[in-house]
Amino acid sequence: MTASVVLKTVNKIYAAKAKNPIYAVRDFSIEIAPGEIVALLGSSGCGKTSTLRMIAGFEEVTKGSIAIGGREIHMLPPARRGVAMAFEGYSLYPPLTLRQNIAFALKSERLGSAETDRRVEEVAKLLELTKHLDRYPATVSAGQQQRASLGRALVRKADLYLLDEPMGQLEPQLRAILRGRLKRYLREHGLTAILVTHDQTEANALADRIAVMEGGVLQQFASPAELKEKPANLYVGTFIGEPPMNVYRVEPQIADGRVSLRAGETELFGYDAARMQDAVVGLLARQSSVVVGVRPADVAVSPANGRGGATAKIVSNQWIGDQSHLESAFGDGVIVATLDGRFAGSSGETLSVSVPPEKLHIFAEDGPALAHGRHLAGEP
Amino acid sequence: MQHMSTGERLLRGVLITLALIFFLFPIFWILLMSFQTNADILRIPPSLFFTPTLDNYVALITGELKTASGVLKLAFMQNLFNSFILSTASVALSLVLAVPAAYAFARYKFRFSEDIAFTLLSFKFAPPLLVLLPLTIYFQQIGLANTYIGLIWVYQLITLPLILWIVRGYFEDISPDIEHAYRIAGHSWAKMFFRISIPLARPGIAAAALLSFIFAWNNFVFALVLASADKQPVTVGALAFVTASGIQYGQIAAAVVISIAPTLALALFAQRYLVEGLSLGAVKG
Amino acid sequence: MTTLELQNVTKRYGKETVLHGLDLAVADGETVAIFGPSGAGKTVLLRLIAGMAEPEEGEILMDGEDLIDVAPEDRSVGMAFQNFALFPHMSAFDNIAAPLDARRAKREAIADGVHAIARLLKIDHVLGHAPRALSNGQKQRTALARALVGAPKILLLDDPLRNVDAKLRFEMRLELPRLLEGFGSTVLYVTQDYREAMALGDRIAVLMDGRFIQVGTPEEIYLTPATVAVAELFGDPVINLFDARVEPSGGGSVAVVGSARLALSPGYANLYGTTVTLGIRPENVAPAGAGTAGAIAARVAALLPLNDRLVRLLVTDEGAEFYTSRDFGGETAGEGARVNVTAASQDVILFDKASRRRIAPEGEAAVIPAAPVGREHRAGRVSA
Repeated sequence: MTASVVLKTVNKIYAAKAKNPIYAVRDFSIEIAPGEIVALLGSSGCGKTSTLRMIAGFEEVTKGSIAIGGREIHMLPPARRGVAMAFEGYSLYPPLTLRQNIAFALKSERLGSAETDRRVEEVAKLLELTKHLDRYPATVSAGQQQRASLGRALVRKADLYLLDEPMGQLEPQLRAILRGRLKRYLREHGLTAILVTHDQTEANALADRIAVMEGGVLQQFASPAELKEKPANLYVGTFIGEPPMNVYRVEPQIADGRVSLRAGETELFGYDAARMQDAVVGLLARQSSVVVGVRPADVAVSPANGRGGATAKIVSNQWIGDQSHLESAFGDGVIVATLDGRFAGSSGETLSVSVPPEKLHIFAEDGPALAHGRHLAGEP
Repeated sequence: MQHMSTGERLLRGVLITLALIFFLFPIFWILLMSFQTNADILRIPPSLFFTPTLDNYVALITGELKTASGVLKLAFMQNLFNSFILSTASVALSLVLAVPAAYAFARYKFRFSEDIAFTLLSFKFAPPLLVLLPLTIYFQQIGLANTYIGLIWVYQLITLPLILWIVRGYFEDISPDIEHAYRIAGHSWAKMFFRISIPLARPGIAAAALLSFIFAWNNFVFALVLASADKQPVTVGALAFVTASGIQYGQIAAAVVISIAPTLALALFAQRYLVEGLSLGAVKG
Repeated sequence: MTTLELQNVTKRYGKETVLHGLDLAVADGETVAIFGPSGAGKTVLLRLIAGMAEPEEGEILMDGEDLIDVAPEDRSVGMAFQNFALFPHMSAFDNIAAPLDARRAKREAIADGVHAIARLLKIDHVLGHAPRALSNGQKQRTALARALVGAPKILLLDDPLRNVDAKLRFEMRLELPRLLEGFGSTVLYVTQDYREAMALGDRIAVLMDGRFIQVGTPEEIYLTPATVAVAELFGDPVINLFDARVEPSGGGSVAVVGSARLALSPGYANLYGTTVTLGIRPENVAPAGAGTAGAIAARVAALLPLNDRLVRLLVTDEGAEFYTSRDFGGETAGEGARVNVTAASQDVILFDKASRRRIAPEGEAAVIPAAPVGREHRAGRVSA
């Protein structure tokens, strides 16, 4: 029931014969293991939806191949690909109740009515739809319609489940609950699923691995943790993470056993070279200018004490319940820090900020990652 | 964005060509006829080869039609002028009345608003002959028969509902928030209406005006009954070519060419507006 | 000096009442976040204040004077719409200039005003563009500039960050308070995002089904939510809820949840023997040592990375699902692992099971103060 998925150098090219063909998706290759949940993540127009539609069969593959469970399917009509899809635009049949809409997907499986009912009730319970099953699409909210559409996809037995922004219309609170439910459901049934989303919170929560796309090109395909800890380039680094990564263009100076990362006259980050990995120090020594990225969660703050660490002046301090978000003037720009619990500084106060060397992300000026903390990029 | 096979592409081309021939051939044939003498036109079998002549046009413009039984006076140029006056004035009056009304129907939900709007549209469903006879009697009694004003009034039956319904759909498409934003910025309702609502509905207003102009121009039956020779539009005036000594096909063809030329030119000029306006109106209205 | 007061404001559409007798007093220069799920009536409320609709009952007072009969253009209100509502046929410049233009300001004065606010919002380079040529972020800033440029007495912001991407939303959330402070306007900020409500509101008014369920500072709302519904609306992941029986234990009281026993703060002696709804926020569900008495035993059902934290969906032996967003230290506690968790007594919130209202402990102290700089915050990470 659950199958692997292999996309091999898949291309979607519009106006392929024109002078300026438009590459919606370019040489996209990923391999998905059976039972794995993968998210295609990116901003609008990055090619994620085109990719999903090619897998579903609503778009032709211009070049490349797609195989599900070892069987090439990219030339087959949608109905014969063995995929179930939940649509962003919910697309329910208006004259049918939600129950009939969901049950409709089971028609082809020729189940008894008792079994159909049982399956429909099961997904309805999962999606908190039990109360609304006998209502018509026009009389329920957008969120309920979207959940019914999701239910219609999940109730079927398919080799692969395609979920296009499955929670975009839901209230934030319900979204948070359903994320957990959905993941548990997919896991316990061992289902392979591909999720398209622009919401990294959703991708992070649901997916085993995330394919970050931009401009039709796969930027990185990795687990949420790896995307966070070892972003392949500056785009992935700044795209993944909320609040976004702080980035600074700095000139490394290494002298007297000290690594100083400076923006003009100001030292933003300074380290005892002995605390850093030799390879990383060597790398910095070879570069006249690099971009360093610092995740807000990795910024440590302490009362200004003049004992090292650059000083920063609080510009804003916002408490959002389980965390505080702190923005401070730092060098020519700002530094954002997320702190657990409630932080008591108010704007105007001066702090010492520092980032442990093992948390620094170093990128070349044109984007590719050079090193993450103790490791050069590309090392395990 | 599915690709088509060569066969499909070929079939599509053939079908489009057939449709084009079906719709354009009559126009093409009329154009040819307008340059032929009656004798050429009536020749059997018809031929594409003939000696072109401008006689038909000359007759229309000079107002003198020479037939076998003598010289007939024609009022064609007067008819053309009448058509212009009637259509333009009708559309102008309708715009003044229907655009604010369309706005009211689009924005305000008042008692019976839907019923009133529908009643106005229903004027378009009623057979014109049904209202014509009583109207003729009334108009004769109050002295409106055979006047421009009377005709323009009756033409509102054609132009007003059309403009109202097309423009209403356009106003409904404008987000009320945009209008509210302008009010909150400190502008009065009137300023908002003229600076925001009207400009944003302009494509729809243009399309509606154009379409109702064409309908007014093509109207036949109202003018036939309510106007005598000096107020008749071209559609009615063309009847004069059916003479005692036969039907003057050549002049009819020339008259048709001249009378469709303005609407055709208008339609081509505003094609973009028309298609966009009509389809939008169709979705919403 | 502008105050805004709502008295018994009621709005009906046909037979349906969408706002039920709202009362709210907003002080001069204060920012009140109107927070609630969609359909709660937040936007309707702003429309009433802006004058785009009239309440059936009640009064809206600006500086003590009733606004009901004042036309929208005369209310000195600025508003930013969720959908931006830019004038599509005007340039960004003309959009922003609209409020100044209405006052018949001189051409140079208008240009100065528009350029000043545009510089502040970093859109001065796109002033000549039509709205459709602007990015979402620029549209949003243009809409904000238009609302602010006339220095209105009351500023109504209708979920202005809803339609911009996450990164920009975060940047604007940090930037907005400073911007608003500069204008000194009294602000109503409508949002569906509890983070925005907490970060931007001096106070938060929680609107549900047309009623203010709770009005208070972010501290009051987060730490002492008036009802289960309010508690559920604030926090991500959502607060965990259990059925619990309150019992005496030793000197204090405990809540019995399944086979676990959680210590309670003093002040709940009157609840002995009753069943309550017990709420613990996911960040307060802490790993407990193997020997901890009364800990909740659970299995990790799913790992849900959430921004910079790893959230775990836990399932107790009785089948109850709940979340923890705490760090489980070096041990990974992966899917399928068994864990013991507990919560500190001050982090436990009790609700009446029937009315779903919070039960305050007897002799409740004021809101817990914020910790001073550097004491609780990643002390271990401060570099020497």
